[in-house]
Amino acid sequence: MKMLLFIVAVAITVAAVALFIRGAFTLYRRISAGVPSPERLGPVGPRLGAMFAEILSHRRFTARPLVRIAHWVVMVSFVLLVPTLAIAYVQVLDPSAELPLVGGWVVWQWLLELFSVGGLIAIVTLFVVRLRHPSDPDDAASARDWRSRFFGSTRWQGYFVEAVIAAVLVCVLVMHTLRSAALARYPETAADGSWLHYPLTFWAGQLFWNSAPAVLEAGISTAAALKIIVSMVWLGVVGSAATMSVAWHRFLGVVNVYARRELDGRPALGAAAPMLVDGRPFDIRDIDDLDEDATFGIGSIDEFGWKGLLDFASCTECGRCQDLCPAWNTGKPLSPKLLTLSLRDQAAGGAHTADVFAALRSSGAQSADGATATLVPTVINPDVLWSCTTCGACTDQCPVDIEHVDHVINLRRHEVMVKSDFPEEFGSLYGNLDTKGNPWGLPPRQRVDWAKGLEFDVPVLGVDVESAAEVDYVLWVGCSGAYDEKGKKTTRAFAELLHLAGVSFAVLGEAETCCGDSARRTGNEATYQGLAVQNIETMAEFGVTKVVASCAHCLNTVGREYAQLGADYTVEHHTQVLNRLIREGRLTPVAPPEDERVSITYHDPCYLGRHNDETAAPRELLAAVNAAPVVEMEHHAKQSMCCGAGGGRMWAEESLGSRINAARMDEAVATGAATVATACPFCSIMLGDAASSRDDAPVVTDVAHLVLAGVKRGLNNPNPTAKEA
Amino acid sequence: MKILTCVKYVPDAGDEVGFESDFTLGRTGPSSKLSELDEYAVEQALRLRATIDGATVTVLSVGPAEAEVALRKALQMGADEAVLVSDEAIAGSDVFGTAAVLIAAAGYLDEVGLVMCGMSSTDAGIGALPALLAEALGWPLLSNAAEVSVEAGQARIVRSDEFGTRVVEAALPAVVSVTDQSGEPRYPSFKDVLAAKKKSVTTIGLAELGVEAALVGAGAARVQVTAVVRNPERAAGRVIVDVDGSSVDDIVEFLAAATK
Repeated sequence: MKMLLFIVAVAITVAAVALFIRGAFTLYRRISAGVPSPERLGPVGPRLGAMFAEILSHRRFTARPLVRIAHWVVMVSFVLLVPTLAIAYVQVLDPSAELPLVGGWVVWQWLLELFSVGGLIAIVTLFVVRLRHPSDPDDAASARDWRSRFFGSTRWQGYFVEAVIAAVLVCVLVMHTLRSAALARYPETAADGSWLHYPLTFWAGQLFWNSAPAVLEAGISTAAALKIIVSMVWLGVVGSAATMSVAWHRFLGVVNVYARRELDGRPALGAAAPMLVDGRPFDIRDIDDLDEDATFGIGSIDEFGWKGLLDFASCTECGRCQDLCPAWNTGKPLSPKLLTLSLRDQAAGGAHTADVFAALRSSGAQSADGATATLVPTVINPDVLWSCTTCGACTDQCPVDIEHVDHVINLRRHEVMVKSDFPEEFGSLYGNLDTKGNPWGLPPRQRVDWAKGLEFDVPVLGVDVESAAEVDYVLWVGCSGAYDEKGKKTTRAFAELLHLAGVSFAVLGEAETCCGDSARRTGNEATYQGLAVQNIETMAEFGVTKVVASCAHCLNTVGREYAQLGADYTVEHHTQVLNRLIREGRLTPVAPPEDERVSITYHDPCYLGRHNDETAAPRELLAAVNAAPVVEMEHHAKQSMCCGAGGGRMWAEESLGSRINAARMDEAVATGAATVATACPFCSIMLGDAASSRDDAPVVTDVAHLVLAGVKRGLNNPNPTAKEA
Repeated sequence: MKILTCVKYVPDAGDEVGFESDFTLGRTGPSSKLSELDEYAVEQALRLRATIDGATVTVLSVGPAEAEVALRKALQMGADEAVLVSDEAIAGSDVFGTAAVLIAAAGYLDEVGLVMCGMSSTDAGIGALPALLAEALGWPLLSNAAEVSVEAGQARIVRSDEFGTRVVEAALPAVVSVTDQSGEPRYPSFKDVLAAKKKSVTTIGLAELGVEAALVGAGAARVQVTAVVRNPERAAGRVIVDVDGSSVDDIVEFLAAATK
């Protein structure tokens, strides 16, 4: 019988390995067909370091600590059990066989036992997590299904992968149990079969002490054969389905993490990836050298770099991205997961699994199945592409480092720069940016109107001061800060605070233009670079090096993206500067008397929190001016929810689903706070709009106003005993 | 067949507009550009081109050398060629002088089968030019079109105004002016911008057109501007607060005063 089992095991192994190699080769061919991206291969040392650090720590598994631990245990048990699969072939024939070298070693045996039992508990946990988020992709109308992060994930594949792991682990534990019984029952081998060697299975093994040795041996042989057969069924199935990324992520995810965009462990957020033309970053200053047939952005699947194709092939369908996506959660057809899966399946020829197809269809993302060369509008519905606010929640959440935001921007670049096909509202946005240098099309001479009526002068570079070296900071006002009524008030409040703290600053005045964020994130790289180059030249003229901005988008664009065009500034957010001024004692905010204090909640601007890692400074400021920590909304800090204005959505109608700002205001209202503080003019506008349409809404204001009020309280009442804070 | 599209280089409506001592427009303003209303004419010309076999779009402007900016924009949008008539003698021309130059240019260019115009310029806002061109060319005028199509040598427009919606047809050649309801002008893709860099703007003077300098310019202008007066600043509006219908009398009183 042993021989029969062995033959079956070997036969199925040969078939499965052949299928797997074929699948792996298919994937290799498919992914390596992508545009060369040599920068993603090296430097090998730091990349390997980053890869191991990320995978071993599971640090990209943010939130959901239970899933993080369970997945980590399953991952380690998978790696540990690979050698035991090899020895299983011998064990079918000789049940007493052990792994060479480590086989009877106590440390190895403890590890195996711990991770086998732990892995079994963990995989059952993950299985239960999946079952608790049921999803029927044919039923998008059902809030329960639609809200599930597994909505649109291929259900049988998830259950299959988890069941295989559970089955293999059960086989391992059965083998250990019977082996310990076989050894422990005889005095001469009892020491080798003791609890010291089988710390967890020894106790169960006692049940079999009375079984005949032949029965134990047959049991071990059978379990070993089953372990092989189950493993090989998995290998064969996975090999036959190259788009079964929930299984392939074990291998591809590792490579994807190795090839991640940022080597410092940050997600692919902050600066958008440069637009590549023939493999080189596009630079508007070299426009005359452009090839006549140059193409911009990504219009078909074969224009992705191989890292992009690897992204799609590595998706585990875990749906963390979908779970936090502001567009998806307000009923728009965009799900970052389904977008990724659409592209994954497109790279494989266009066919979807039943669940993915049903989810795409029922969410309105796609109406027909089938492969075509152009991505938008056939594979990717324009409503999907243009619903993205580039908030970065998806990319921040992704445990395998998929770069959703960069992909969206690259797809948009093709739509705008090659096809000139985009939501109508962006036409006037681009026109205004191109001719007036601001989104509203207002005259540049009104850029310093915000400073009218202040009790001190705001010097303008090139007019009142010659060089930025004469002042501590250049205040980057931004278009909202210069033209929008709310924004102007915030700029005034911040300028007053700088003045009170004795910090000198100057502005660029009429010479400042829009930073270009909205142009860039809607795919208009040409307009973005036109504005950026103009600003960079202006700032070079005055020797600007230190900048402070009160807009999170300006902070990101001027601070992180202008560097791609050769600029080098230190750009800080106003909340960061204010926080430091308070710490240095140059500003002393005083909390209101206890009976006047109200609770404050804080809305994290995406481009401050997720894109620029600053979630602490505004909270510290608010705690200082209110003598109490902020009341947090359901989604906050890195898991915050967008106001709806990012990615150029500020300028477009929101006609699909419900409104993102209203959904965010629901969360703010639920905290019971009387004030929603934020730190970005776009957020102030969006949340202000949401607040104005309901009676129970808190007051929406920028952190700077609250700090200024606190500082003025201190100035009006210099008695230190009033400082309860 | 050429679709000749007349466009004007105008100061940006949002900017402070300056005037010379003779009340002609100051050309040193911060940003002058292709008149927004003429962008609609370019857009419709481009859309018609796609429906007519062998049609090309030529944009034509009369103005200073800087007017090339406006023509460049039209080329980026997709026009095939651009002609600028620029001559010091033209400076100060009124609408009749401008029309005379445009008519001569239309004759100078071959195979013009259709002339397209915006409904009016955004600076002077006279809106008489399409009619003057049609009159002088002896062609039918289809004015203020919200929709335009050409089929089998026949132009057809839909005009919507306070009198209703009318469909008007005429045989080509014809002059068509379009309104800002005719369809949003396209934003040129970057591919188009690059392609436009290879196109050139042909600049010609009065001599090439055979127009006598004495017929154009400030001296020949039949319209004389005698003064330029700034509009009064807009006063704040009056807010009438309604409490259970109390506003009715106030509104009636306001309307009565306004219509006196």
